[in-house]
Amino acid sequence: MAGSKTILFIEDDKPIAEMYARILERNGYQVDFAYNGADGLKMAEDKQYDLILLDIMMPEKTGIEVLHELRGEDGSGYPNTKIVILTNLAQDKTSQEALKAQADGYIIKADIVPSQLAEVIGKLI
Amino acid sequence: MQKSIRIISMKADQFRRQTLALFFIVSIVPALVVGAVWYLFTQTSRLNFLFLDFDSFVLPVILVGVIPAVTLSFVFAELLARPVRRIRDAVLELAKGNFSTQFRGHGAGEFHEIGVALDSVATKLQQTISEAASETALIAAERNKLRSVLGAMTDGVFALDHTGRIVLFNKAASELTGRSITEVAGQLAEKMLPFRSNGELVMTRWLANQPGTEHKVGQWKGLELYRADGTSLYVDVQAVVLNDDPNGIATLVTFHDLTKTHQLEEMKVDFVALAAHELRTPITEIKGYLDILNHEAKQLNKANREFLERTIASANQLSGLMHNLLNVSRIERGELGYQPEHLDYRKLVTDVVGDLKLRAKQQHRKLTLELPPLVKSIPISGDPTSLREILTNLVNNAIEHTGPSIGEIKVQVAVNKPNVETSVIDNGTGIPAEAVSHLFTKFFRVGEMKSTTRGTGLGLYICRAMVEAHGGTIWAESTEGEGSTFTFRLPMRTVASVSTADDNKEHNQKITRGAHGWIKDNSIH
Repeated sequence: MAGSKTILFIEDDKPIAEMYARILERNGYQVDFAYNGADGLKMAEDKQYDLILLDIMMPEKTGIEVLHELRGEDGSGYPNTKIVILTNLAQDKTSQEALKAQADGYIIKADIVPSQLAEVIGKLI
Repeated sequence: MQKSIRIISMKADQFRRQTLALFFIVSIVPALVVGAVWYLFTQTSRLNFLFLDFDSFVLPVILVGVIPAVTLSFVFAELLARPVRRIRDAVLELAKGNFSTQFRGHGAGEFHEIGVALDSVATKLQQTISEAASETALIAAERNKLRSVLGAMTDGVFALDHTGRIVLFNKAASELTGRSITEVAGQLAEKMLPFRSNGELVMTRWLANQPGTEHKVGQWKGLELYRADGTSLYVDVQAVVLNDDPNGIATLVTFHDLTKTHQLEEMKVDFVALAAHELRTPITEIKGYLDILNHEAKQLNKANREFLERTIASANQLSGLMHNLLNVSRIERGELGYQPEHLDYRKLVTDVVGDLKLRAKQQHRKLTLELPPLVKSIPISGDPTSLREILTNLVNNAIEHTGPSIGEIKVQVAVNKPNVETSVIDNGTGIPAEAVSHLFTKFFRVGEMKSTTRGTGLGLYICRAMVEAHGGTIWAESTEGEGSTFTFRLPMRTVASVSTADDNKEHNQKITRGAHGWIKDNSIH
């Protein structure tokens, strides 16, 4: 059941993170936050999440870099965790890069109604 | 002229000598006769005429005949030669260009007639020369005019002969290219002025394919031209093939410098992209919290609920606008990101229209889909995100321009090999005939609709760019008051390309794309 599913949200913009968390929690997910890439990587190591939501434009470490570190060179890291990019970067170049680095989804924040996000996640986990 | 004058002057001397000789002969004969008569008269008493006294014969002959005869000869010869000499001098003056010289009056009789004739020759000569001079002045004036016009033009102008060599090069062309007229004269245009589009010499190639004598005009926008110093210009170029005169100008080329406009355009596009992107973060938050409010605010009264719904609609519209602006900036930067995939168009249309049905229902419009009944799948090579956007834009427009409850929209797909045609047909307000041809231009909005509907005038522009990126075409037909039909035609995938479908670079990963991004189906790592 969705109730038992855990999500790690790596996002430097606190209000945005809290907003999505509220919607996701309403849909029965348990959400943890990391406000930068390094913290996110550490938290992913400590606990097995069903899904990681990953912003791209973050200081120090970008979401794409975090994605590469999570999946590793052969793309097989964290096989039981889905990773979805949640960004406002609409460039196809970035989207393709995420696909190559074994992301499971690429969602543009401004183009999705937040309650739709829970629906999309529901299809993945 | 000089030669003929020399002949005239030689003839005058000869004439004088001949006249002198003639007079001498004519005078000496009567002198001899007179001398003989005089002798006989003085010697009759002796009756001895066989033995002539030399002294008494010669002296009277000399005195009475020879001396006056010789004198007269000289006088007459001189009288005759003088007008001839004068005419010779006058002709020499004429040769120097002095047309005021008078020939007549230098003698009587035939000499007068010759003088009059020569006077009229001189007058005619003067007329001809002055006419030629004024014509030369006219030509010079025209040449100066042409030079001033070409020199004052801000557009570069140059002309080529039949071998493609530069035969004319104006000041602006020299300034724009950083090359002097002497440097380019007689050189091949493709060497000195290589206009390129994506590295290709488009104008040279076009000119090579223009045989015959017809006037033809070639136009190119945004070509790149490298200056002598290695910097480059963005220019619009127009070439006219003349071909009239095999020894004259074969091609006339004008080019307009758009470098600054191009830079400004780039800045504008960059700014739009940046602004639209920066605005996306706050709009995401606005939409998110409105969504939370809508779900969680249970105690709102009816009016407040409506306000909230209106705010949500406006926020959605704002994010749609920014989405379109970003798309336009991507189109204009050539970053449309067209990622073709092998897909079944029948399935894609079914999915998209299925999603749109919900929105149509909310807006109280009837949306139906009509697929070709006997075709199981429609293979095409296309970018699913773009195709979804095209369909969504057209259906949303139809919803906007039909009335609630009475609005009927039909999406009709027809296979017309080698193409597939998709029409979005509505029974709405229709579009005035004069507006139909402008529908697909940027920021165009039909006049009277500006006040009744919200929109940016970007949707159809984006649709056209996306359809064209697929190698297709889009058009509209409309009758005011009856409705509109928007149709786009996409090329279907050929059998040859179907066989390579398994080489899909996405490694057979199934991906579901939506308006908001993509997710993998059943992804397993």
